[in-house]
Amino acid sequence: MRDRVRRLVLAAAAAFALVTVSTAPAAAYAPVGVVHTERVQAGPYTVTVGFSEWPLRAMQSLDFTFAPADGIAGKSGRLTIDGPGLDAEDRETPLSRHPRKRDVWGLDVRALPEPGTWSFTFDIDGRAGHGRGTLRNVTVLDQPGPPLAISWTVCAIPPIGMLAYLAVGWRRNKPSERVAALV
Amino acid sequence: MSTALPVTGSRASQPSLAVKVSRNGRTGPVAANTVLAGTMMSLFGISWDIQWHVDVGPDTFFTLSHLMLYSGSAIAGLASLAMVLIATAAQRAGQSVDRFPGGKPVRVLGGVFRAPLGYLISGTGAALFLLFGLLDLWWHSLYGFDAVLDSPPHIGLLVSISFSMVGSVIVFAAARDTRWGRAGVILSIPVLIVFSPITTKAFGALPLPVDPELVGTILFSTLLLILGTLTIGRRTTALTIAATLGALQLVLWWFSPWAARVYADATGLPLRDNLGDDPPELPSGIPVFMLVAAAAGTALMWLSRRRGWSGRIAPQIMGAGGGAVIGLSFPVQSALFGDSGPTSAELLKMTAAGLVTGVLAGYLAARLAVLLRDHSTASVTSASVTNASVTNASATNASVTKGR
Repeated sequence: MRDRVRRLVLAAAAAFALVTVSTAPAAAYAPVGVVHTERVQAGPYTVTVGFSEWPLRAMQSLDFTFAPADGIAGKSGRLTIDGPGLDAEDRETPLSRHPRKRDVWGLDVRALPEPGTWSFTFDIDGRAGHGRGTLRNVTVLDQPGPPLAISWTVCAIPPIGMLAYLAVGWRRNKPSERVAALV
Repeated sequence: MSTALPVTGSRASQPSLAVKVSRNGRTGPVAANTVLAGTMMSLFGISWDIQWHVDVGPDTFFTLSHLMLYSGSAIAGLASLAMVLIATAAQRAGQSVDRFPGGKPVRVLGGVFRAPLGYLISGTGAALFLLFGLLDLWWHSLYGFDAVLDSPPHIGLLVSISFSMVGSVIVFAAARDTRWGRAGVILSIPVLIVFSPITTKAFGALPLPVDPELVGTILFSTLLLILGTLTIGRRTTALTIAATLGALQLVLWWFSPWAARVYADATGLPLRDNLGDDPPELPSGIPVFMLVAAAAGTALMWLSRRRGWSGRIAPQIMGAGGGAVIGLSFPVQSALFGDSGPTSAELLKMTAAGLVTGVLAGYLAARLAVLLRDHSTASVTSASVTNASVTNASATNASVTKGR
């Protein structure tokens, strides 16, 4: 019996080690892949906007990169995003370095909530002064995957099951009849 | 949910391992606290993960915060599975399991298993978590990495963890006649108060007059506060739960940014630019004025007892008072944390929302408390219930009756 337990533990440890070793490369942070670029002229500054997916789709997680022609050193600014379904607090943000590509500004794992026409406005301050420019008419297509209603229905099954279970328990035990003596 | 199965088998035979474990007085508290530890790990894991996304950013499936979140669910699930198997084996060995720790046993799959209700629910939550984990994996293959917290599979995952937390409340409530049972209720309820409103993010996209997450927080925190109070039946319970919630909030407030930064240092990743001085994401959403709400609820309960109001209306009155305080506190809380000061219209709207939600919370809490008290079992099996614990149980019942 003990031998069997020992063998089982060894086998489990070996399986765990194998899974850990084989998945180690997946644990590395993915590089930022730019598959499409657009140019924006913001006053004296030329900004190359990079997208990790193209064409864009609603709700899809994206990496955006914003690269001024002569680098981000000595520059600062703000980004204003405009499009359908965007929360007010997500519209305007300071231009920040991309967490996985520190030599350019960018946004990581960001999704545009709804399909439609979007725009990205850059306000940049640097040695050459202030510049403002907008990348207009960025088309965002419908979300990928099944319709949201189906996805939400699948995910609503457990809470609905729980409520049904509770309803049955409620009917059988009739707690309302005994609640008077509770307080 | 019938529990009256005939007891079969011979008493003279050597008790099996499962029977020995089930008769051991320590099995109940050890298993219950393991489930609680698992759910607590999940809570700390998600708070850390959310803060990591805010403060640092880069993500893979294998971050430590994810590991903590998933391990918590696995620990709760394995402990629950063990208890279901032990209860089943004990019942098959001819032992009565009517007073099995973890709630009255329920027949599962036509009687193949006998699952104590609390462990059935916490185990089901953990199993669902696995299923939604697979769905989430597929979702990410379509949509990419965690762009939002409120995607359908994420909500499925979060609801599943909430089930495990509900299970742990049932497990401890079933042992409310013991000190560890009451302590567990007072600890497991705040965990559920913090976690459950996250799932109301699912309604975030609906055009409602009040933020559904705020309404969810009012509903769950008021409901659980009253539920705990009426289940344990002691005057100070609401205040103790609120104080525990406050302590949990303080620990999460410190832990989440600390863990995000330490982990960033360890992996050589920099913090995001322009972070600002926003308060920690998840802890700052926990109501900070719960002690005031608990005091209001306790005062109203005391008044109800003095005036002899029926349990048919008293919980709703307690809920209205507690809910109104929590509703009113949200605009004040966000002003404290750096947002602009609240307008009087907003204060009025949130108080009204709190009042209405609180009445519903009180109504549900009282009835759920009746069901939970029905599921009360001793901490050990009937074979080893001592006279002392029986006396203790009757003394508790007597004090509850006296308080009516």
